[in-house]
Amino acid sequence: MVLAKTKVLIAASAALALSVFGAQHAAADSISDIQSEGTIKVGMLVDFPPVGFMNANNEPDGYDADVAAMLGDKLGVDVNIVPVTGPNRIPYLLSGQVDLLISSLAITPARAEKVDFSAPYAAVRIGIFGPTDLDIAAEADLSNHVIGVTRASGQDATLTRIAPDGTTIRRFDDDVSAVQALLSGQVEAIGVSNIGMKQIHQIAPGKYDEKFEMNRFILALGVHPDDGEMLDYVNVFLGEIKASGELEKTYQKWFEESLPDFSGVVTK
Amino acid sequence: MYQFDFTPVFQAFDTLLLGAWFTIQMSGMAMLLGLAVSILGAVGKDSGIKVINLIVDIYVELIRNTPFLVQIYFFFFGLPALGIRMSPNEAALFALTVNFGAYGTEIIRAGISAISRGQIEAAQAIGLSWLQVLRYVVMKPALRVVYPALTSQFIFLMLGSSVVSAISATDLTAAGNDLNSLTFASFEVYLVTTGIYLVMSIAFSMAFSLIGRTCFAYPVER
Repeated sequence: MVLAKTKVLIAASAALALSVFGAQHAAADSISDIQSEGTIKVGMLVDFPPVGFMNANNEPDGYDADVAAMLGDKLGVDVNIVPVTGPNRIPYLLSGQVDLLISSLAITPARAEKVDFSAPYAAVRIGIFGPTDLDIAAEADLSNHVIGVTRASGQDATLTRIAPDGTTIRRFDDDVSAVQALLSGQVEAIGVSNIGMKQIHQIAPGKYDEKFEMNRFILALGVHPDDGEMLDYVNVFLGEIKASGELEKTYQKWFEESLPDFSGVVTK
Repeated sequence: MYQFDFTPVFQAFDTLLLGAWFTIQMSGMAMLLGLAVSILGAVGKDSGIKVINLIVDIYVELIRNTPFLVQIYFFFFGLPALGIRMSPNEAALFALTVNFGAYGTEIIRAGISAISRGQIEAAQAIGLSWLQVLRYVVMKPALRVVYPALTSQFIFLMLGSSVVSAISATDLTAAGNDLNSLTFASFEVYLVTTGIYLVMSIAFSMAFSLIGRTCFAYPVER
């Protein structure tokens, strides 16, 4: 078993090395292109506070915006934040409309086939969340219930995988609609992140609680698979701001907890 | 260079077809129900009764001057506050019917106003009842006049129905979005989805022109 795993790892790193080599030829000067243009286009979710949201001045703000600003400083360029949604963020990256995703992107095997992930930079827990009197304690209890999720989110993928037969899953286009569906009673419970739960507690104190934890996601920056130079660059960048304590400070500012330990996380 | 790969799309082609079938059913039902609303609205507007006139006016102006997506959100997320709760698919059908009804009212009214006064008076003079006049002398020629406008409004309705995926209704666009979120093959998924919409539009246009030729195939004075 251990041997098999090692073999897979060797194969994966070989594939990674190959793809990096192949890619460097295709987009060898992406960083210098960005520097000569003077702007980097960063795709960011703006409906996922405190990671990404529009502040009172209608400007993108939050943890992702701070990380993007730090990256812009290191590159010496302006940051042009392009608001994206959960379903369209990877298409934005692959079609070249943004140079990089700093968009609460969780590392999943399906996504790893389409984009390259940087080193981890944040973590989010997701769970089933519903009215306090709703009697659900585990996956098996979901049968015959109507659960809302955000389409193409980590909650969607996890719930689709674990939900027993007879569960009705309703998919909404953004987090706000999913929360709205819960508040208006159009779904019995929703799959939502710990951050989302905190917000709902603020809107409706004491009415809802977490039924059980579904999954834990490690977030990373998303890089175009042909852009090996960008991948190397952001990994060096993340290493620097982790070492200097800047990332820790920013993480505590938005999440009110310490940056989790990412050792052992596989990003490919 | 992006590598095109249509296999995941065609593996899941049945889910797209299921979504397309739902779009056809929902749009078709919305058209029939909406047509009934339109006829009632048009007749009500021309009835000369002030209260009915005002109600139709408010309905038509309210629907035609607000975005369809906002109407859907209102029916799905807003109405539960008043105790009216519809499933996503019901809310989608309801919103489409209400929307088509408002536009249809104006279209049919245009058709009615194309009927000359003399034709109606002649029908009354030979002793036709009110209902007979409405049905044979007003509605049928009026519908004939506005038939092309009605059919293009239906095509608009069917294409516009793509926004119902926002409230988790299970139409063709929702099927496409779900498939895209699983495969991330956006180009392939949306190219095929677009193709299905195009085929549906063309098929409906052809069917309508066939129906038009059989239903309204009587000679008219030019």
